[in-house]
Amino acid sequence: MQPPTPEAIHEPDAAGPAGEVASSGGSPLPELPQREPSARHGRAASVRRRSARRAPVGFVPLAAVGLAFLALPLAGLVVRTPWRQLPTDLAAPGVLTALRLSLVCSLTAVAVSCVIGVPLAWLLARVPFRGRSVARALVILPMVLPPVVGGVALLLAFGRHGLIGQWLDRAFGITLPFSTAGAVMAETFVAMPFLVITVEAGLRSLGQRYEDAAATLGAGRWTTFRRVTLPLIAPALGAGAALCWARALGEFGATITFAGNLPGRTQTMPLAVYVALQNNSGAAMSLSLVMLVVSLAVLVALRGHWFRSR
Amino acid sequence: MTSVAGQSGAAEVDVSLQADVALRAGALAVDAQLVAARGDVIGLLGPNAAGKTTVLRALAGLNPLARGRIVLDGDVLEDTAAGIRVSPDRRRIGVVFQDYLLFPHLSALDNVAFGLRARGMSRRRSRELSAAWLSRLGLADQMTARPRTLSGGQAQRVALARALVTDPRLLLLDEPLAALDAGARAALRRELRGHLASFAGTCLLVTHDPIEAMTLADRLVILEDGRVTQTGTPDRVRAHPRSRYVAGLVGLNLFRGRAADGVIALSSGHELVAVDDDHCSGEVFAVVHPRSVALYRERPVGSPRNVWPGRADSIEVAGDRVRVEIAGPVPLVAEVTPAAVTALRLDDGGPVWASVKATEVVVYPA
Repeated sequence: MQPPTPEAIHEPDAAGPAGEVASSGGSPLPELPQREPSARHGRAASVRRRSARRAPVGFVPLAAVGLAFLALPLAGLVVRTPWRQLPTDLAAPGVLTALRLSLVCSLTAVAVSCVIGVPLAWLLARVPFRGRSVARALVILPMVLPPVVGGVALLLAFGRHGLIGQWLDRAFGITLPFSTAGAVMAETFVAMPFLVITVEAGLRSLGQRYEDAAATLGAGRWTTFRRVTLPLIAPALGAGAALCWARALGEFGATITFAGNLPGRTQTMPLAVYVALQNNSGAAMSLSLVMLVVSLAVLVALRGHWFRSR
Repeated sequence: MTSVAGQSGAAEVDVSLQADVALRAGALAVDAQLVAARGDVIGLLGPNAAGKTTVLRALAGLNPLARGRIVLDGDVLEDTAAGIRVSPDRRRIGVVFQDYLLFPHLSALDNVAFGLRARGMSRRRSRELSAAWLSRLGLADQMTARPRTLSGGQAQRVALARALVTDPRLLLLDEPLAALDAGARAALRRELRGHLASFAGTCLLVTHDPIEAMTLADRLVILEDGRVTQTGTPDRVRAHPRSRYVAGLVGLNLFRGRAADGVIALSSGHELVAVDDDHCSGEVFAVVHPRSVALYRERPVGSPRNVWPGRADSIEVAGDRVRVEIAGPVPLVAEVTPAAVTALRLDDGGPVWASVKATEVVVYPA
């Protein structure tokens, strides 16, 4: 009995000031129906919530196994790490070199990805050119391609006898494989798709309307991109760059295939972990722990973008 | 179409905007002609999905024309035949979008200053000018506010300032009051009228709200289904509707037929008798005010010559009047007093007779 009363009181009130606009046919009407669906929606939501509490038989134990499978290795890493030895392990000269090289290579890969990946994302999102779906497939391909295959492909293109590599070698004396630049290339190849896909999605959800508004205010294409588009896709760009960086930091397969495993030049952290595991497993664990901490930091940084609690 | 072309010739004296735009928008083919004198406020009025926003976007250069020509203050902005197309940022056309599209990452002041900065003005000078505009629109204390913290009315004024500060030759307003609630709308409409009056350039106002169009515009252009169906001053359009849509907006009964010797043969096969001093003949429109329609339960005897049977279809109270829709061979809307509804027991859905005196029928050529 209670709910109808305030509505009944409110109704003539709402019709009063809106009377002038009544002939337009629109204004006063949406007020009333809105109330009803919202009530219905509320009821439906509560029903859904109640049924969601009862999972299908067997789901809870299976989900527990799934979560444990993902969590146990990490727990093993944390538990078995020789904590007392950690400072000495990390202070070993090779480790610091690998860590520094990893940071330099992965950050350079992110920078390169931004410079060539953002324009690529913009074209994919804004220009309906012929072959756009093929281009998008090419962008996604490195995400699903085994990294080792990526490394082989890079070797065939940019290696000393590769398609472009032999020309680079002959004309400029530039040799990319087994160099730090090669390590950056391997990481960029594998990690850039994450940035492109994320930025493209950001551009699509932003739409073109703010860019239209900027154009009517006299802003050219470059001004519009710099002062309107870029600030508005900053969250997507940040998320894409973080994902890209995490992927570049962990890159193993393509790097070892294309750039090799030369300490100080191409031996990044994952490669150092692999080598350390064969000689001194304590150092491998310490290095792995460092990378776990870095990954967790990225996760925390991204929580606002993807892991919003719903 | 011919009447529109004729008007464009008549207004040649001080033409600011001359546009002939043809383009597609989804399933709708827009083919519209517009002419505006300098300083005019043109109301582009039409039902939803008539192509109004498409015309506005075409003028601003945001949607390319498939065919046509846009000339503003003597400059050709677009001409498909000559292969000319000036990009939107060089047209000097200001736009206030329906949802304002204020840049969410900039303060109100920087939103207004954006256009000046884009045109190369220094940061300091552009901020001074923008601040002056915001103060003029009563937003002196909202300069640093982000758009999301502004009310609908404040956002509308910031959008207006942002468009006007660049001194556009043509100002386009897309449903400027639609995003506001009904209470704020009347006050902001008055305010907007003041701003438009002080704006020296030409203005095109897109709206589906007849009150907005009639109170803000000097001249109306009615757009239906992508085409211009009528142009003229609000008074003229109100008095002489040329389509069912306009007649419905102004609350008149509209008929179309062939006139000969004061008798109009309607397409439904019925006849409408009119006392027409202008002696129109051929295709004509005829309007009858709902107040001039009398209702009876028995077939009336006496002088009225336009008498048709029907049934009261819907009864709607509007102020101290009641609008009754009569369904029958000649559909009509009648306006009667509440007392008449009771006396005639119109709400029982039984047969009624509607009559119109020949002197109450206004006839004009189609």
